[in-house]
Amino acid sequence: MRISTGKILHAIGLTAIVVFSLFPFLWMVAASFKSQADILASPPVWFFTPTLDNYAEIFSDTKVSGAIINSLIVAAFATLLSVVLGTPAAFALARYDFRGKSDLWFWFISNRMTSPIVLALPIYLLAMSMNLLDTHLVLILVYLTFNIPIVVWIVTDQFKSIPPDLEQAARLDGADQFTIFRKIYLPLGAPGIAVSAIFSFIFSWNELLYALVLTRRAAQTAPVVATSFMSGYELPWGKIMATGTVIVLPVTIFALIVSRHMVRGLTMGATK
Amino acid sequence: MTFLRLDNIKKNYGDVSVIKGVSFSAAKGEFVVFVGPSGCGKSTLLRMIAGLEDVSEGELYIDGRDVTYEEPAKREVSMVFQSYALYPHMSVFENMAFGLRMAKKPEAEIKAQVAEAARILQLEPLLDRKPRALSGGQRQRVAIGRSIVRHPKLFLFDEPLSNLDAELRSQMRVEIAKLHRSLGATMVYVTHDQIEAMTLADRIVVLRAGLVEQIGSPTELYDTPANTFVAGFIGSPKMNFITAKVSATGPSSLVLDGAAFVGGKLVVETPAAGKAKVGDTLTVGLRPEHLTVEPAQPVLALTLDFAESLGGSTQLYARGEGEPIIVLTAGRPALQPGDALKLGIDPRHIYLFDAAGLAL
Ligand SMILES: Nc1ncnc2c1ncn2[C@@H]1O[C@H](COP(=O)(O)OP(=O)(O)OP(=O)(O)O)[C@@H](O)[C@H]1O
Ligand SMILES: [Mg+2]
Repeated sequence: MRISTGKILHAIGLTAIVVFSLFPFLWMVAASFKSQADILASPPVWFFTPTLDNYAEIFSDTKVSGAIINSLIVAAFATLLSVVLGTPAAFALARYDFRGKSDLWFWFISNRMTSPIVLALPIYLLAMSMNLLDTHLVLILVYLTFNIPIVVWIVTDQFKSIPPDLEQAARLDGADQFTIFRKIYLPLGAPGIAVSAIFSFIFSWNELLYALVLTRRAAQTAPVVATSFMSGYELPWGKIMATGTVIVLPVTIFALIVSRHMVRGLTMGATK
Repeated sequence: MTFLRLDNIKKNYGDVSVIKGVSFSAAKGEFVVFVGPSGCGKSTLLRMIAGLEDVSEGELYIDGRDVTYEEPAKREVSMVFQSYALYPHMSVFENMAFGLRMAKKPEAEIKAQVAEAARILQLEPLLDRKPRALSGGQRQRVAIGRSIVRHPKLFLFDEPLSNLDAELRSQMRVEIAKLHRSLGATMVYVTHDQIEAMTLADRIVVLRAGLVEQIGSPTELYDTPANTFVAGFIGSPKMNFITAKVSATGPSSLVLDGAAFVGGKLVVETPAAGKAKVGDTLTVGLRPEHLTVEPAQPVLALTLDFAESLGGSTQLYARGEGEPIIVLTAGRPALQPGDALKLGIDPRHIYLFDAAGLAL
């Protein structure tokens, strides 16, 4: 069998990218199993006696477990609500003509063009005046403003790719608009909805800036707690890395579960 | 008895007028076929009957009821789409059951109706499959099955067979004809295909640019086309047209001058002779299948360009002084390109059209 130079270069390139993107991740996971001495060793030690001390320490720290629960609550609701609110909007944008449609579309897209830091102060003041500081609700609301545009954007595109004949066949079959949305568009749009849900969840889970600004103690999320370890004289790298690993793990598992839906070509066979 | 009636139906998209006033009616149980060139508005008209497209002007009646502004589902029509439009995430059974479920029919009745449709269309072994696991012909059958389960008053078909290969197409054509006979339902069918139109239709509606050119049975359209457009559109290969000038008129005959004719003249017996005057320009229409090779009394003297053998018959392409002429003849005449070709025709088969293209 002949292997072309192109293929070899391709493989080398891919390997480089994989190593480049996975290395920090590996470093973090490895460090989370090291003692502080091993972590600070120079040159770095590759072979070490793994220890679960860091994990024992963070799991006994109620601050960390509480923060993970906060993160779960906030990310789950922010994702759920953005899908629940975003998919009907996407349906309307994909299939109906109405006044101001292009303006609305632009508004959804341009939402993402503002730098988050610009709005941090106004939102902080707003939240304070409404007594929402340090609540799950304020984070969920803020994340919705980021997630809904993502959902609308991705799902509108997905819905547009569903042949309009299907909707018309369903109308002749006696289905009303809501039934068409629920029985035709939601199942056929599932790959796009799953992708947008992953994005929403990952964003909400990882978000640091607003979580830092808007929470104090009760609603603190995992990334905020991980950074809060950095305040002391000596940096507890093992704890930070273990917290980091715990933060990354759920999203990775979540992404793996839903990615199967992403690749299924559901619209196949609808039309010739 | 009129079952479906279109009364001066019009459709505009903004300033663009797509259907410019179509009227016709169909009796109960009739099979009506819309034909016309691409873009003439066949689908638009059909979709207006279905209620999928708003009617800009005019009135539409189904079974005596004004449904011009009625919801699609309440018109009790069903439609088979060119793309089949099967729900890809549902099994064949669910595809066919969908309309019944929407109508909140009891489960037992749904099962019975779907089973009945599956039996008629031989879909029983496929009921659990998803559309993507079906062949084109099977998908088409499911689409038809979905349209018959609800026992609609009116069936609409938009080029249902155009995605199938030739053999399957003729097979499905026969099945649709059978279905029409066994259900006795009124059907409106859109097609490009001559053979489908001629074989399926009780009546054909020929459309051009949003207007009706002629309505009639297949044989009426073939025998007495109202104008050159219909004459050229119905029949395959296309009718030959020759331009000629009237040089003399009699009470029931015309003498036409044209370079293509033997001796430069053609005498035509016609009851409509009185409608033409000396000096008028007429179009003479000759169907390829009516022309005979090497006749006793030749009408056209031409040169053979080339011949295509279709096995049992041969298509000859000939050229003379004027327009190229196509001949469809049985057997395989022993002729070479460049040979002289004399053609004759039974005078009863000569069509005449005036300068505006209308039948004389
Ligand atoms: N939404 C629309 N806006 C503007 N023009 C349209 C629209 N839909 C259809 N048309 C125009 O209406 C005309 C008729 O379209 P229609 O689909 O009815 O043609 P058709 O006879 O079915 O053609 P074909 O044989 O190719 O299917 C076309 O010229 C088309 O461009
Ligand atoms: Mg069409």
